[in-house]
Amino acid sequence: MKQAAIEALGAIYKKIPPDYRPGVKRIVFGTLLKAEGVVKGRRVHKARRVEFLDFEIAHLEPYEFLSPGKNEVLVEMECSTLSPGTERAVLCGLPGARRNFPYQPGYSSAGTVVKSGQRSGFQIGDRVAGRIKHVSHDTISPEFLFRIPDGVPFEEASFIELGIITLQGIRKAAIRPGERVAVIGQGIIGQMANRLARLLSPARVIAVAPSANRRSTALAPCGAHEYVSLREAPSSTESIKADVVIEAVGTPQAIETAMKSAKPGGRIVLLGSSRGLIRDIDLWNLAQCRSLDFIGAHITAIPEKESSTTMWTYRREGELFLRLLQERRLSVHELVTWRVRPEECNMVYEILSHGGDRHVGIVIHWKPGVESKPGITAPQS
Amino acid sequence: MDLLRIGIVGAGAIAQRNASEAMHSGASRVMGVFDVNAKVARDMARALSVRFFSTYEELLNNSEIEAVLISVPHHLHRSLSIQAAEAGKHVMVEKPIANNLEEADTMLSACRRHGVKLTVNYSFRYLPRIRKARALVAAGALGNITGVQILLHQYKDPGYWTGARSNSPDDWRASKAKCGGGFLIMNACHVTDYLAYITGLKVRRVYCEYATLGSPAEVEDIVSISYRFDNGAIGSLSASSIMRGVDQAEERIWGTNGTIVLDSAGLHVYSTRPIDGLRPGKVHHLKNFPERSWTADWVREFARAIRENATPEISGREAWENLAFISTAYRSLEEGKALEVPSYPDDVDS
Repeated sequence: MKQAAIEALGAIYKKIPPDYRPGVKRIVFGTLLKAEGVVKGRRVHKARRVEFLDFEIAHLEPYEFLSPGKNEVLVEMECSTLSPGTERAVLCGLPGARRNFPYQPGYSSAGTVVKSGQRSGFQIGDRVAGRIKHVSHDTISPEFLFRIPDGVPFEEASFIELGIITLQGIRKAAIRPGERVAVIGQGIIGQMANRLARLLSPARVIAVAPSANRRSTALAPCGAHEYVSLREAPSSTESIKADVVIEAVGTPQAIETAMKSAKPGGRIVLLGSSRGLIRDIDLWNLAQCRSLDFIGAHITAIPEKESSTTMWTYRREGELFLRLLQERRLSVHELVTWRVRPEECNMVYEILSHGGDRHVGIVIHWKPGVESKPGITAPQS
Repeated sequence: MDLLRIGIVGAGAIAQRNASEAMHSGASRVMGVFDVNAKVARDMARALSVRFFSTYEELLNNSEIEAVLISVPHHLHRSLSIQAAEAGKHVMVEKPIANNLEEADTMLSACRRHGVKLTVNYSFRYLPRIRKARALVAAGALGNITGVQILLHQYKDPGYWTGARSNSPDDWRASKAKCGGGFLIMNACHVTDYLAYITGLKVRRVYCEYATLGSPAEVEDIVSISYRFDNGAIGSLSASSIMRGVDQAEERIWGTNGTIVLDSAGLHVYSTRPIDGLRPGKVHHLKNFPERSWTADWVREFARAIRENATPEISGREAWENLAFISTAYRSLEEGKALEVPSYPDDVDS
């Protein structure tokens, strides 16, 4: 019955000319949301969010949502940090990242609780960070929310999800004091890996990247000890001889670089979301003969409830990340290369879709008053 | 601003239209008319309530006249323009500037030598939809332009070629010597001009095929051109005056970030960027552009350029460059190979 109704609605929808479909959809879903609000006794709020309208097109769109239920909170956003790898993969249709459009990107934000359900566990005025999309306001379940400790700015707290992703990889790497660590890829995850690895007293953290574009942020205080640009020194990987290699890109080429950078018996942590097909990689000589260990480390495998030595829960990793920021043992503000206004999202994602230029951390500031950082490469006209 | 005092040269249908628009532009005053066909010139002068000049010299000797507006067969552009320049009159000449680059060079050089300005009637540029397209391109709606396509097809009946409907019958449009070519230099030249204006691109290399397949003329009535712009973009033009029953007039410009289609309905714009308040990722149909006289705009703009001693918006240089594209296309067929389009010499003013 339900299936038949869905099919009937689908057939009607397909008869609507394509140009009118978004409008019809907006009206239908808007009406349904209002009806749901009436039934549940909740108000409809208006906000703005970043949407990918199609491949390589981001736009700031209005949207509506319901006020929080008993277990939820309404968060007014201050900052949301882009996850360039994941978001670019969707935006550009990279292998393994197929999504339907429109698509709402983002999963790492910070803001203030402005409404709170009775059983949410949060109070109005609480500063929170967590898995939230690029939105000005939203109703959020507390499951993926953390209280921001005193002294931690919103901008740094908005790295929360990226911090959790990186921490679980670093944990699996089990870096011991004095080991040589190579981090392949110097995007935001790679550069956070540099910093978190440094906390574990390795002998040396070597940042490896295809170009010198991100050298200055990678070598900022508390970052990597050394930077290797493959464009300038393509055969330098063999001399790295790392005990641990953290692969933070996800492409077959980066995985090959990771294998070349490891010493025999070394460990390779696959932290980047793997995309693309591996062909023509000499696994025999690169990996098998050299007894390399591969360790899968994707956030989707993180345990929900119980931690182990090598795998902590999402909540525990998040709390640790915020505590490291609070205690100043970790800082990420040096990684912010571009502070942007939400209205600039189209240009920002256009640059991202072309490789992101030299940018590492791109943070959307949702409150007025933040000037876009000068000296940014504008898209080619 | 003082009205620009214009002498009208030619009294054919286009000349009459140009004179009327100039009068209504609010920027000029028509002082009189000359045509070798004295009867049509006298009739036109009477209709406009202006003076009739029996010779061109008489018109040029009139000290009140500051500029001439020449609307005559193409092969006369050179001599009439040079005479005007020598008499110290600014020159407004119908398109194309001349039949070939050598003629254009001598015209521009005479104007430079005598300190007068020259403009060519590529006034379609003043159509609001053309202006809008240019503004959208300038704002980055298309990103880097990668392709241009021109489709211009219509039917010109035998009377067009013989001048049967003209008040001053003449078959000059059918003559290669008088016209320099056919549908390309006579009609499609407007489109090639305003696409250069919209895109800011210059054609570097062309290959052309043309023929006369259905008209009582020695000039071409069908033409197809492939070309490459200076930025690497690729263009094509398909035009003819022998497509019966169904006219076609459409231009497409596309780039890394969008597409613009110009047709009789207006502008159709798609961009990945939110330009001019238009939502990205959607085709917007911009219609109902205001009606305005593009010829009057052209006259107004030239009057302003003279009063402010500025380069006219439609300069001799741009008209020369359009002719360079057209004449190289013709030469390409004649030589049977792709040819480089010559650049405007940098050591001369526009």
